[in-house]
Amino acid sequence: MVVKAPTVERPSTAEDLARALREAAAQKLAIVPVGGGRARGMGGVLEQCDVELHTTKLGRVVEHSQADMVVSVEAGITLEALQAELAKSGQFLPLDPFNSPGHTIGGLLASGWTGPLRLRYGSPRDFLIGIRVALPDGKLATAGGRVVKNVSGYDLMKLHYGALGSLGVIVAASFKVFPKPLHDVTLSSGGAWNAAVHALSTAVAPSALELDSTGRVLARYTGSPDAITRTVDELGWQAVGQAAWDEHARRAPECWARIAVPREALRRIIQALPSGAEWWASPGVGIGHWAITSDAASVVEIRARAEAAGGSLVMLAAPDDFIRAVGPWGTPPSTLEVMRRLKQAFDPDGVLNPGRFVV
Amino acid sequence: MLPSPVTEELRRIVGREAVIESANDLRIFERDGSIAGAIPDAVVLASTTDQVAAVIKVAAKNHIPVVPRGAGTGLSGGAVTIHGGIALQVTRMRCILEIDPVAQTALVEPGVVNQELSLVAAPHGLFYAPDPSSQKACTLGGNAAENSGGPHCLYYGVTTNHVLGMEVVLADGSVHWVSGDAPDRVGLDLCGVLVGSEGTLCAITKVKVRLLRIPPSVATMLAAFPSIETASQAVSAVIGNGIVPAALEMMDNVTVGAVEAHYHAGYPTDAGAVLLVEVDGTAESTRELMAAIGKILSDNHGYAMREAQTPAERELLWAGRKGAIGALGRIKPNYYLHDGVVPRTRLPRVLSAVGEIGEHYRLPVANVFHAGDGNLHPNILFDMRDHEVLHQVEAAGEEMLRAVVEMGGALSGEHGIGLEKNAFMPWIYSEDDLGAMLRVKDVLDPDGIMNPGKIFPDPSRKPVQLAGRTGLAVEAKWW
Repeated sequence: MVVKAPTVERPSTAEDLARALREAAAQKLAIVPVGGGRARGMGGVLEQCDVELHTTKLGRVVEHSQADMVVSVEAGITLEALQAELAKSGQFLPLDPFNSPGHTIGGLLASGWTGPLRLRYGSPRDFLIGIRVALPDGKLATAGGRVVKNVSGYDLMKLHYGALGSLGVIVAASFKVFPKPLHDVTLSSGGAWNAAVHALSTAVAPSALELDSTGRVLARYTGSPDAITRTVDELGWQAVGQAAWDEHARRAPECWARIAVPREALRRIIQALPSGAEWWASPGVGIGHWAITSDAASVVEIRARAEAAGGSLVMLAAPDDFIRAVGPWGTPPSTLEVMRRLKQAFDPDGVLNPGRFVV
Repeated sequence: MLPSPVTEELRRIVGREAVIESANDLRIFERDGSIAGAIPDAVVLASTTDQVAAVIKVAAKNHIPVVPRGAGTGLSGGAVTIHGGIALQVTRMRCILEIDPVAQTALVEPGVVNQELSLVAAPHGLFYAPDPSSQKACTLGGNAAENSGGPHCLYYGVTTNHVLGMEVVLADGSVHWVSGDAPDRVGLDLCGVLVGSEGTLCAITKVKVRLLRIPPSVATMLAAFPSIETASQAVSAVIGNGIVPAALEMMDNVTVGAVEAHYHAGYPTDAGAVLLVEVDGTAESTRELMAAIGKILSDNHGYAMREAQTPAERELLWAGRKGAIGALGRIKPNYYLHDGVVPRTRLPRVLSAVGEIGEHYRLPVANVFHAGDGNLHPNILFDMRDHEVLHQVEAAGEEMLRAVVEMGGALSGEHGIGLEKNAFMPWIYSEDDLGAMLRVKDVLDPDGIMNPGKIFPDPSRKPVQLAGRTGLAVEAKWW
């Protein structure tokens, strides 16, 4: 239960952030890292929040080498600001999360949120090449580097990616970036699952393919013009503008969950949603998002199906009571005890985001 | 030698013939593909996960080092038992347990040879993308432990991008599944941390990997260049134009000479350097991309460009590349190979530094490497029978790595740190950076029995100093 308004800290350097983190941790205060605040509903209800540590003043592009296709940024930069910078060189970061705009890079790494382009490019887990993290003892720890291929030491990028700030506060990151495709076409169909399955099996695979509960399929084909043109002709769907993706990325219901399962299991689980449910999904990835309007019991039932298929259902936002009723994460992973020991090693007093993450 | 009660316990676990202790037999396990060696106290040939777990439990109880070992093709000393103990050989665990053509995944034991998986997956129209040059011999368990790369990782990514999950045995002998088929799994990404941990955190007993559809069309081109510099600029120009080929490999004049003498693949021996470029996709896209690449290469001093016309010709071009290091045996019997990686645009500078270092030490150097990734592979050629030369070779290797790091690069792109580069880790990481990695080590292996002496610098040794580094982020002391 949050009893008083938290202190808000907005450090403007990584060193200041690390110092503020250390000082708050030394007093065993509950510390909540905040980026763009787009994923604040994710995970469990905070047990306590004494200090909000905002990264938004850490907003610089530190170094962008167009020829090396590598960018280093501070964690508080928004995705849009970074994309604008990269666009000047005809490049981009292939990340298009929901509840846009306004995500910060640090927030996206901590939350692990992704969007439709994951089908072609993978998640930041695949193109994050370096990370710098402030730890509760005030140390700044770097892993990885600014090269696109690197096995020098442990891959701690993976440790912090998706850890929801439970081990430290991400203050900077380096990415492999990508050239804007030569040709980029978006098509739409009302053909629901069958159309989606068909489009996923075309000779040129789509870079993004989204299906929603209205039966609409949006497919994006990128690459060399001749090959794309042939595929587009063969499909015969209606061409639509790129704005369809911006609109899609704005989706953020008040109460929603992410279903992530092996991709061949997704259709079965989505079809088990309560009748009339609003959802959208990436059938080629195995991820669906559900705008929940039904009761907690139905969420628990769908989660059981997702878990039986080897996947998960995670709450992205909901009223506190609802999250308490369904539980934020579901059945803990079998390696929970190992994860707890890692949490203990980085955050021995449990000051970071108490109650929010799995450990 | 292990205490005899320990040996007896190991024999009870794996069977009498699966514990090797005779001095002659142990010598076979002295080395991997690098130049340092050490004889293990015993080699244990495990056949099941239960055996691996039981062996590690015995080792833990007796504080004996355990070094998991696959085919021993590693190039950084990762499989060398530098502190003695048990070499835990997993090559008897060599079953492909499952290929799921619908989910496009494979579940394999750690001793399965890399190329075998692609051969078995091919009838399903699938392949396994990471392709180290040692793929005819190296194992998938070793690939996961080292986070191995290969020529086609430029487009497809390295091992970690293709591992979906693993069964691992931790230092206390406990068996765990980490990650799995579904995306965005709940909790910390232990699998991501364990891939590339070089046997220092766990032994790998099963690997679930992603398979990809075999592209319908592949085009492969060889182009000659007057010098390494012009070839490097051509590489930057291709990628700077927004084209990421499936593979983009460079060989210098020394390498081309050796390869051509051995393979007769039609490599131009007069060239200062050659590039091997491959694109894949549909027939239209490979044709379009190859035309665009051909133009960029010729605009950048490329000549004698030749596209493979048949699959056999393509195989021959690749045989030359993948067999290049073997062919270098024509020049000298031994090689010492580093795999530093730099931002791609710094390739010309770092390669000219490598050349100067070779000349300074009067050692022949042959470069054959993943140019598209900025991942160099200078092979210092020598004859181990000349005892004086080894020290020179190591000194030259260290200077080459120094040049890499000074240009904002990293110590290893795909071979691992092992025991040959651990002393240099402070060049790229601060005490706090290494401290964070050590926290992970201490959590997963508190007694330090898993592959000791690797990755982290030996605290008892004097640190090796480095002059300076370039790059804004590096100057800011992040990278």
